[in-house]
Amino acid sequence: MMRAIPSLNGRELTLAGALLAALLIFFAASPYFATADNLATVVRNCVELLLVGLGMTLLLAMGAIDISVGMAMGLAAIVVGRLLAADMNPALVAISGPIVGGLLGLFTATIVVIGRIPAIVGTLGLLGFYRAAIFLSLGGEWLSGLPTRLTTMLSASAGGVPVSVIVILAAYLVVWLAIRRTPYGPHLLAIGNDEERARLSGVAVTRVRFATFVISGLLCGLAATFYVSTYRNVEMTIGSSLALDAIAAVVLGGTSVLGGRCSLIGTVLGVVLLRVLQNGLLLIGVPSLWQTVVTGALLLVILAAEVASGRFSLQSLRWRTY
Amino acid sequence: MSSRLGGRSPTLIILCSLWVLVVGGLAVLRPNSISTGTMTTVLQFATILALVALGQGLVVLCGGAGIDLSVGGAVSLVAVIAMLLTKTGVPGLLLPVVCCLSGLGLGLFNGWLVAKLRILPLIVTLATFYVYSGLALALTGGAAQSGVPAFLIPWGRGDLLGVPLPFLTLAIPAFLAAAIVLGATSWGRWVYAMGFNEESARLVGIPVDRSRLIVYALSGLCAGAASLISLAWLGSGRPNIGQNLELTSLTAVMLGGVSIFGGRGGIGGVFAAVLLLVTLQTFLLQLNVNSIWQVGIVGALLIGVLLVDRLSVTRR
Amino acid sequence: MLKSLKLVLAAATMLGAASGAAFAADKNTVAFVPQIVGIPYFNAMEAGGKRAAAALGVGFIYSGPVDTNPVDQLQIVQNLIDQGVGAVSVSVLDASSLAPVVADAKKKGVKIFTSDSDAPDSGRAFYVAQATDEGLGFTIIDEMVKRVGDHAKIGIVSGEATASNLNAWIGFMQKRVKDKYPNVTLLAPQFAGGTAQRAAQIAADLMAANPDIKGILAVASTTCPGVAQAIETAGKIGSVVGAGYCSPNTARSYLKSKALGFTVLWDPEELGYLTVWAGKQLIDGKALSATNTVQGLNHPVTYDAKTGVLLLGEPAVFTAENVDKFNF
Repeated sequence: MMRAIPSLNGRELTLAGALLAALLIFFAASPYFATADNLATVVRNCVELLLVGLGMTLLLAMGAIDISVGMAMGLAAIVVGRLLAADMNPALVAISGPIVGGLLGLFTATIVVIGRIPAIVGTLGLLGFYRAAIFLSLGGEWLSGLPTRLTTMLSASAGGVPVSVIVILAAYLVVWLAIRRTPYGPHLLAIGNDEERARLSGVAVTRVRFATFVISGLLCGLAATFYVSTYRNVEMTIGSSLALDAIAAVVLGGTSVLGGRCSLIGTVLGVVLLRVLQNGLLLIGVPSLWQTVVTGALLLVILAAEVASGRFSLQSLRWRTY
Repeated sequence: MSSRLGGRSPTLIILCSLWVLVVGGLAVLRPNSISTGTMTTVLQFATILALVALGQGLVVLCGGAGIDLSVGGAVSLVAVIAMLLTKTGVPGLLLPVVCCLSGLGLGLFNGWLVAKLRILPLIVTLATFYVYSGLALALTGGAAQSGVPAFLIPWGRGDLLGVPLPFLTLAIPAFLAAAIVLGATSWGRWVYAMGFNEESARLVGIPVDRSRLIVYALSGLCAGAASLISLAWLGSGRPNIGQNLELTSLTAVMLGGVSIFGGRGGIGGVFAAVLLLVTLQTFLLQLNVNSIWQVGIVGALLIGVLLVDRLSVTRR
Repeated sequence: MLKSLKLVLAAATMLGAASGAAFAADKNTVAFVPQIVGIPYFNAMEAGGKRAAAALGVGFIYSGPVDTNPVDQLQIVQNLIDQGVGAVSVSVLDASSLAPVVADAKKKGVKIFTSDSDAPDSGRAFYVAQATDEGLGFTIIDEMVKRVGDHAKIGIVSGEATASNLNAWIGFMQKRVKDKYPNVTLLAPQFAGGTAQRAAQIAADLMAANPDIKGILAVASTTCPGVAQAIETAGKIGSVVGAGYCSPNTARSYLKSKALGFTVLWDPEELGYLTVWAGKQLIDGKALSATNTVQGLNHPVTYDAKTGVLLLGEPAVFTAENVDKFNF
């Protein structure tokens, strides 16, 4: 959906409303919610999911999917961690993440695009493959207590705004420009809508699909850099729930799993809403085990509400490439 | 559409050859593991996965981007519900009924959202995955629920001539029933038609939505049956018993030759794939290979089999 | 083309498996099945087990699941029994983890015992304990109260809600507080799963929800880095004391930065050693006496025949001062 004037569509409005409602409820229910420290914590918790979610948004808009993103982030984190432990220049360490991520994206794209395997199945296979790779690269150990040089570099603030926020804003801006101002956007959505028709219209389908997987990989690698800098630990179970959480956030945001619709704002709102809920619930005393239930229920409520209000457009279920 | 049971498709041949290779390898490297005991082990660990994969296979076959990510969560939640109900006084004799009905109910919920509200299965089952698995943990605080009625345990752990009883009495009949329904009834043909080309199916008058509702309910029923087996076998209700089942069952279904788009493939392939997966796991464990290799090999295997399938079958 | 592809596929499978193949597993072998592979704690137990196997002349198999799935662990145990291993020790995820296989083990003459985490009523031969659950729960609370006073608020971040040994320790923590420190507020445990990110997120949220919190206990070695990092990132070093059942290597930098005040642990390497030693006793049919001198350990270990517990010793407390003396 290309709009000349940026305005929020129905889903985005609903999410914004839900987010506002959540913020107000938590503000009223807990005196500790609206403190600077707490809000900073929430923002920090959003970083990896925002980055991986951005990549997932593009993939879903294209009609593809990638459930191995958590493992890709893990592999990139291992490289970042090892380089950090080896005393490399923090700036170089920081970009090693996206580089490894991009390479992994390239590999994933090769399997899915060249191998012509449906993305969901191909990435299901890669999930296991990357997971084994993580374990074998770690040698069954963890990377713990990594040096703080990267952390200091990335947790600095430029004019009061944390570096992480700046990087995320930049990433979203770049992608937004690519979608709105270059042919990439229309081509992406065309493939998502109907790949055959796109191909016949002259869209370089293979190239666009490759590019999207690589971009998603780059973003996962960037998320890995932030992960290592924030938590200074790379464990074997790293990223295990990331793929599904990212898909949930993106779907919440209104990007269609069938492809053809893309909402960056929706993804941001979805991620922030999820993290705000997790934080707020704990603050008001709801045990952490209920957080997944709330996530699922939220997804169901929003979807059902849209169907009930008639705004959900019945898309044809004629199936295309995933 | 030739193969209801996945008859002569290359996938089945690949699976059988791999199975022969694995067993052959085991015979060479560890001769004493070729025994009835190992077969019992393989079948015992295949039972739960087989039932869940059956449900997943039906869901994928009926098309409409069918997938059920909530099966694992459903198995966990059914176990928890059954045990909690037993604790509050429901007679233990009714446990099997409770399991099946709860599973059916959870599956119906999915089906209603997919078929009636027309929400995409991936999204629906992702949401219900979160809800079901989360509820199982939240309601119990993570603690295993003991108190499985004593009459179930001998069934859960027993075997007849080396074949575990649950496998014999639940898994095999379920697959046979499904095979017959899919192959010999008109409803079965409808399922394939819906998956193959939904528009045409609707035009011809097939009640697509109602059939889909039933399929998702059946998937829930399979999850309920799998949960019953886990209760009878382990002797307690574990709230995370279904962990990872959604991805493993999907892997088995894909390995079994079912097309992710629906309408192609057979549950015979799914059955064979489940057996191959568990045999492969057993093979690696008997050789004391680090269990992470299982994960990696199965992932690579899935990609490999699909690549081979791509090369030998022309796409529609 | 198809045929050669099939062969390549098959060869790859064989190669992958054969590269790790061990032709072990006869009666003179002890196996240990951890709750999950790939965490430093169990790696240390593996190292101890290998050392004991070399010293005592038995075979040693270390095999565990890649996630805390009870069925996966059970599958591994069953396959070890099928192999005819002499003795199998398991760090059980839950008491029911062993129930289905105990009868089969007995039939095949395989001895089953537990180590690191117990299943008391399962019919296991005995339990090799690092310290009593009670000792572990009490010690960590006592040490925490020493540092934060007995009117403090303390939070708990655990790993998996389904791990029975972790829940047992939490139970004893709660009991200790109720009996000895009635003015301490021990918050309900929150569960973070297995990633550092979740542990850090939950610890940070706990600190936000309770600004007067004085201490956070990381139960489960997987939550240690996350909790400690959260304290550091929130700038609460000094006002919040972190602690947990963490290995010295994982905790070292945080002990030095004072994010963690102390950690309570035992030597998992010694526990692994003792596990294999105990397995050998089972294989040889030797009974355990009330006090046992173990060749290779520099202190005797006690055995309580009534509860079937072979006790390694007392929990050890690691602080910034002594952490450098250890390497696990």
